Amino acid sequence: MAWYLLRRVIAAVPVVIGLSIAAFLIIHLVPGDPVQQMLGARATPETVATVTHELGLDRPLPEQYLEFVSGVVVGDLGDSITLNQPVTTLLRQRAIATFWLLLYGVCVALVVGVPLAVWSAVRRDRWADQVIRLFSTTAFGMPTFWLGLVLALVFGLELGWLPVGGYTDAFPDLLVSLTLPAITLGLSLTAIIIRTLRSSLLESLSSDYVEAARARGLTERRVVLRYGLRNSLGAMITIIAVNIGYLIGGAVVIETVFRIPGLGSLLVEASLRRDYTLVTALTLVAGVAVVVISLVTDLVYAYLDPRVRLS
Amino acid sequence: MTQEEKDLGVVSEALNRRYSRREILLKSAVVVGAGTTLGSLLVACGGDGGTTSTPSASSSAGFTTETPKQGGTLVYARRAATETLDPLQNRNGNGDIFAAEIVYTALVRPDPMGSTALVPGLADRWELSADRLDYTFHIRDNARFSNGDAVTSDDVKFSLDRFGDPKLNAIYGVLAVGYKGTDVVDKSTVIVHLSQPVSAFLYNISILPAFILPKKLVEEQGKKFFEKPVGTGPFMVSEWLTGSHMTFVPNPYYWEDGKPYLDEVRFDFATDDNARMLALRSGTAQAADGVPFSEISGLKSNTAVYLQFTDVPYFQGLWLNHKRPELADLNVRQALQYALDKEAINKAVYAGTGTIPNSVLPKLRYDGSPEQVAPYPYDVTKAKELMAASGFPNGFSTTLQYPSEFAYYSRLALILQAAWKEIGVSAKLIQQDQGTTSQRFYQFDYDLTFPYAQFTSDVVVPDEYISFICDPNSGTDGFFTAWHDDAIWKQVQEFESADEASRESLWPQIQQAFMDATPVINVMNLPFVQAYQANVKNPYINALGANRLEDTWLA
Repeated sequence: MAWYLLRRVIAAVPVVIGLSIAAFLIIHLVPGDPVQQMLGARATPETVATVTHELGLDRPLPEQYLEFVSGVVVGDLGDSITLNQPVTTLLRQRAIATFWLLLYGVCVALVVGVPLAVWSAVRRDRWADQVIRLFSTTAFGMPTFWLGLVLALVFGLELGWLPVGGYTDAFPDLLVSLTLPAITLGLSLTAIIIRTLRSSLLESLSSDYVEAARARGLTERRVVLRYGLRNSLGAMITIIAVNIGYLIGGAVVIETVFRIPGLGSLLVEASLRRDYTLVTALTLVAGVAVVVISLVTDLVYAYLDPRVRLS
Repeated sequence: MTQEEKDLGVVSEALNRRYSRREILLKSAVVVGAGTTLGSLLVACGGDGGTTSTPSASSSAGFTTETPKQGGTLVYARRAATETLDPLQNRNGNGDIFAAEIVYTALVRPDPMGSTALVPGLADRWELSADRLDYTFHIRDNARFSNGDAVTSDDVKFSLDRFGDPKLNAIYGVLAVGYKGTDVVDKSTVIVHLSQPVSAFLYNISILPAFILPKKLVEEQGKKFFEKPVGTGPFMVSEWLTGSHMTFVPNPYYWEDGKPYLDEVRFDFATDDNARMLALRSGTAQAADGVPFSEISGLKSNTAVYLQFTDVPYFQGLWLNHKRPELADLNVRQALQYALDKEAINKAVYAGTGTIPNSVLPKLRYDGSPEQVAPYPYDVTKAKELMAASGFPNGFSTTLQYPSEFAYYSRLALILQAAWKEIGVSAKLIQQDQGTTSQRFYQFDYDLTFPYAQFTSDVVVPDEYISFICDPNSGTDGFFTAWHDDAIWKQVQEFESADEASRESLWPQIQQAFMDATPVINVMNLPFVQAYQANVKNPYINALGANRLEDTWLA
């Protein structure tokens, strides 16, 4: 196990390095100078040049990149150019909201998606299956910003059940403030879970070992939950892990719509302001998070399915 | 006493008297929601010589002569986030300005009731020397910082010296023109020396970069000071999460007796228009700025909220690159103006909230009336004649860049494209994000562009903008137009050092000269549009669009 972990960590290093280079280059290649944007039209070219020099942005890109990386190695992600604060401070302030949003969103997706997927598989080709499949297709096709607005209008504005936006960082208000954003985020994942789990369940339920279970006289409920669902969980976990990056992308939009002070909205602001340091650091953090989650998924997968060997 | 001194005397007097409730009521522009009729916004002249908007008779929901109630929390959904409270380091435009306005005060300040006049701030009076080179400011007796320390001459000198230091004041350096230095006379008197008469000097020191800071604390704490600054405004920062929200509590030592009335103010930052409007409609926020034009009609029919339209120097500035031979041709530029049906644009794009400009710059103090300086009329025949007389009688192809962050730009760009096609100008539309748009603007990589989604002047007098555009030494090559006109520059120089009375007569002539030359195009003068829950009272906004919230209370 330890050797497996070490190998996975080592294998992740080039991925993270590649990611950091890509993030660094992409934001630098986008037109727009953070200094000129910061100082505006009032500043003379001399002033712009001076501030650019003070921030070290006039140095060759490889030199700037190496400085960034050398900072990252010792836990220093640099200072935000526009916000004039250490990136680590901003991360500390903003990561928690995104974490709760993602966690809550995944919970919503599981709570809604798993029963519907099971029901859909069990009632294959009957009206319930058709309705659930229609629901999953619709949910998957809806843009998150639109869905978020509709939910806010209906449940926030018209019915007044939940806040239309904002964030409270203490329980239980945190749950209340994140409910609509989490539903918005979770529904898109729900659609994926339903489609994947249904398909996997159908395969399991027609397999020989399930037929054998039925032949032994087990109830259909027990057959489905113990033999069918359990064998399909691996696929579902993989799907969730693979879609973590997709969820983080969804959080970017949802945080903006619902005024949640998370990493997603910070990334949007940083991109618009061409805050090179902040964009690179946030992209790197998100990438590392995906790598770590992928690793954890493999471990969980092995735990759930003894046939998988971590070697 | 010169006219300027008289004018400032009026201002001084205004400072020392309190506005009557009725005057206050009449100095605000409000449009009430459903059940009331939206009256036309009437422009009137205040007694102080400044211009302001007055409400229609039925539009008094937000403005009242009732005795203010103390207490309550006002949540204000704001489009632009505050990124710094260092007055010299503006990083996010109005996001920084509006927060700084309620935390700090300058020696003089824009009339909080909305006229273009100045009123006393931390200085309760001042005198100008006969040669117009020395201002003597007297700091009011009860001026204190939010930590209880008295505001001293040393603080004023320190703050103004920062303002006048081009290394520290890199962003607003143009406002420090003529600043030579400050001498401390005694603990409450300073003399500010100018190297040349600067007519706009008081305006220049009435805003952000000249806010008064506590010398000792800033020197001790450096950059850290601005994370939770000590100021002289009606409120002080109690909590600040960058990009999310800012919370303010009353400054217990604020120099205006009994103010502010609110127990707490919270700025919730939301760049997304829908998020702000939802917050307002749901009651999560009691106030919201940057009301999208598309929301105006819906909000008018909502009895729970009311709208406020404020005249500010805010315009839809279309910039022309004079390095392109087509746009360097005066006939072409004028043809582009004549081809625009601005009345139709106002209705189609701005929900009728704009006003047809009679200047290529935003609405500014001293502007001549439309009778003095006529707007460009919509006249396609004239536009075609001008094109025929130009160096490009067969028309030409060009590009129009605009920022993607605001939905209404797409509609506007399409209208402009169609209008100019009528006169043979084929404009390719390029939509891109604000960062790209402004960067291409700074690099002259454009033909026609809306360089900023929201284009405003920092001061209500023309001096700043005309310096940007006309001054050959501004370093911005005609504010990135490459336009130069020696004759107009000569007029501008005379205007910038003239006394107040002369400025009033000189400016309309310059305004006309700018209109004739049309180095840029002002498509529309626009108001700032705010929306409030009905229980928000007296949300006065000054002529620069800032609300210090010192008079605002919750019913």
